[in-house]
Amino acid sequence: MAAPWRHCWRRYYYAAVTGTCRPCVTPAGLLAAPPAVISLLFSYFRWKPRLLLGRCRWTHQDAKLRDPFSLAQKDLKDLYEDIRKELLVSRAELKALCDYYFDGKGKAFRPMIVVLMARACNVHGDRDGDLLPGQRSVAMISEMIHTASLVHDDVIDGSDKRRGKTTINEVWGERKAILAGDFILSAASMALARIGNNAVVSVLSQVVEDLVRGEFMQLGSKENENERFKHYLEKTFKKTASLIANSCKAVSILVNADPEVHEIAFQYGRNVGIAFQLVDDVLDFTSCASLLGKPSAADLRLGLATGPVLFACQQFPELHAMIMRRFSSSGDVDRAWSYVLQSDGVEQTSYLAQRYCQEAVRQISRLRPSPERDALIQLTQLVLTRDK
Amino acid sequence: MWSRLALSRTLRSLSLFSSPSPSNWSKVVSDAEKIVGYPTSFMSLRCLLSDELSNVAMQVRKLVGTKHPLLNTARGFVYDSKNNLQMRGLVVLLMSKAAGPSSSASESLLPDMVSGIYPSQRSLAEITELIHTAFLVHRGIVNLKEWTNADGPLKDMQFGNKMAVLSGDFLLANACTGLAQLNNTKVVELISSAIGDLVQGIYYESSSTAEDNADFTLASWENQTFLSHGALLAKSCQAAMELAKHDKESQTLAYQYGKHLSLGHKLNSDLQPFVRGSEGELVPFSLDSAPVMFHRHAVGLERWQQQLQQARSMGRQTDYSKLCSTIKKEKGVSQAMDLCGYHGNKALEVIKCFPASEARSALENIACAVAKF
Repeated sequence: MAAPWRHCWRRYYYAAVTGTCRPCVTPAGLLAAPPAVISLLFSYFRWKPRLLLGRCRWTHQDAKLRDPFSLAQKDLKDLYEDIRKELLVSRAELKALCDYYFDGKGKAFRPMIVVLMARACNVHGDRDGDLLPGQRSVAMISEMIHTASLVHDDVIDGSDKRRGKTTINEVWGERKAILAGDFILSAASMALARIGNNAVVSVLSQVVEDLVRGEFMQLGSKENENERFKHYLEKTFKKTASLIANSCKAVSILVNADPEVHEIAFQYGRNVGIAFQLVDDVLDFTSCASLLGKPSAADLRLGLATGPVLFACQQFPELHAMIMRRFSSSGDVDRAWSYVLQSDGVEQTSYLAQRYCQEAVRQISRLRPSPERDALIQLTQLVLTRDK
Repeated sequence: MWSRLALSRTLRSLSLFSSPSPSNWSKVVSDAEKIVGYPTSFMSLRCLLSDELSNVAMQVRKLVGTKHPLLNTARGFVYDSKNNLQMRGLVVLLMSKAAGPSSSASESLLPDMVSGIYPSQRSLAEITELIHTAFLVHRGIVNLKEWTNADGPLKDMQFGNKMAVLSGDFLLANACTGLAQLNNTKVVELISSAIGDLVQGIYYESSSTAEDNADFTLASWENQTFLSHGALLAKSCQAAMELAKHDKESQTLAYQYGKHLSLGHKLNSDLQPFVRGSEGELVPFSLDSAPVMFHRHAVGLERWQQQLQQARSMGRQTDYSKLCSTIKKEKGVSQAMDLCGYHGNKALEVIKCFPASEARSALENIACAVAKF
């Protein structure tokens, strides 16, 4: 626990955002926090939502900043081509399904973080920055696991559009879509094994388990408001952040034996990952349909109460009943939508995302300076300001 | 169109759970279980008792009264789990025991063995079962566009699919973390490739009924069936050798045993409707099953379609006993039986390369039972 000179709420708040530092595999320290913490969290946001908006103060001004995308570019060249080579299928139709989303049009957001983290860790470990082959594999595997889970999610949610394309389930049917997802996962698992490092295998296998558990968590909701928020953040970690956190950890393991560095990499990924999803949940309310590649309020339509709704529920208790019935009565989606926009749920969720990014920056700043480290710092701003 | 699909699905799940010559098979399996100590799959049990799957079990009740295949699969776990569901795990355990510790294994590892099997080999056996079960579940995903309202409300089917995707994924995820704990990246790679094989096999297993099937050969049937029914067991047997640090040669033998046993087992279950004749009414059989495929290949597509037409002439339902006797007149059935005997013998031949032991005898008995009718 933090030093006693801090105000009580600050200390709780700190614990909530950083998670328990040790043991380093603990996915979400937040889970250990008593319910009171969450309500303190709530009241803190209730009163000071806008005070700290503005540029993150930890950004290093002296380092020459390079756009993370262009900095990662050289390592991500041919990424999708290499992934398609991993998907060894003899027959044409299944091959077409497996390759479908690896068309080079994705953002490759996860591989970008992974290669930047890899180079930052390499420099920190007194090497030149260059990627090790295993680190490059982790970047590929992270995109493969992510895609496999998207393919399954689209079946579960009955989605017909993804990244502006018709989904696999819509074109080929649900059964083949599930099998294609399973195949991509098996290919990722083979590539993972070929790195030849047991610790790395174990760290990335954890991701697969987290993804499924997160999906299960999404099925249920909690009656109690504090429980519900905790449940939401834990689900967010498992469904989104675990992949980023553990991929970052994996590349650090490949170059550095120091558990403290692994923990820095993990915590950076965890905090950026949660912030990324919080922003995604905000965009579901604020972005117009064409930008995000899916209809707005998609989460509400799926019965999911995300950050903005949970915050809005404090101002408009009418939302509680709707959350519990998963917005299933007619008119629920529209009413919930307007309550959210009337509340400051969107601002508060953005603010929470900002705090997670600050923590990510604090973590990564413990690494030795490098262009890649600073790009990772800059990336947190891009996560917060993205509009699609 | 749909009724044929529904039937082939029901048949698939039936053939997955039905056992060759029940009495004999049960005895061979239960005798074998005694040899490996405790056969119960703890990892599967842990999964079944997890919050996630108990949740699914609660939800599956909603599917009662619908035609979602998940219902049948779930029923299979409860009613028919005795001798077949864990057959793969059992073979892996017996194979581990038959091979024993390798000569290069350090003495210090020996006390870890329970009933002559390393803990990692026990985990592997459980992982094999988890993967097998995961794909029983994922096989039963339904294409919603092929569903009509007469089959039940679309909402229920969507829900059934959701449960099937999630529970299959959950089992697979547990297999992944279980594999990682084995701390052997060669085994992770081997079993992951088996998952890939299984997917490819399942993906194309029902497409063989497609009318344009001119390129069907015995070899293509074997390749296809190896992927869908043999690769997992073959590679798990090989992996069990790798975990005990046995050499490449033992690994190949174990792989061959698993491969031939699975092919024999598949042929045997496919043949049941054609050899059981005396036991009263005929169960409908799958048009994908080996005897039918061989028959079609032998008589040619045109005659086969005529025969199929004749069997359907009485109303829309296929008269399976008529179709069965038509098929029996040609050589499809005997071809399948010969092939079954061949694979049973191959398995037997391979297992004899291991030193004589109780476990080896059990594996021999299993290989014999597979070729008996």
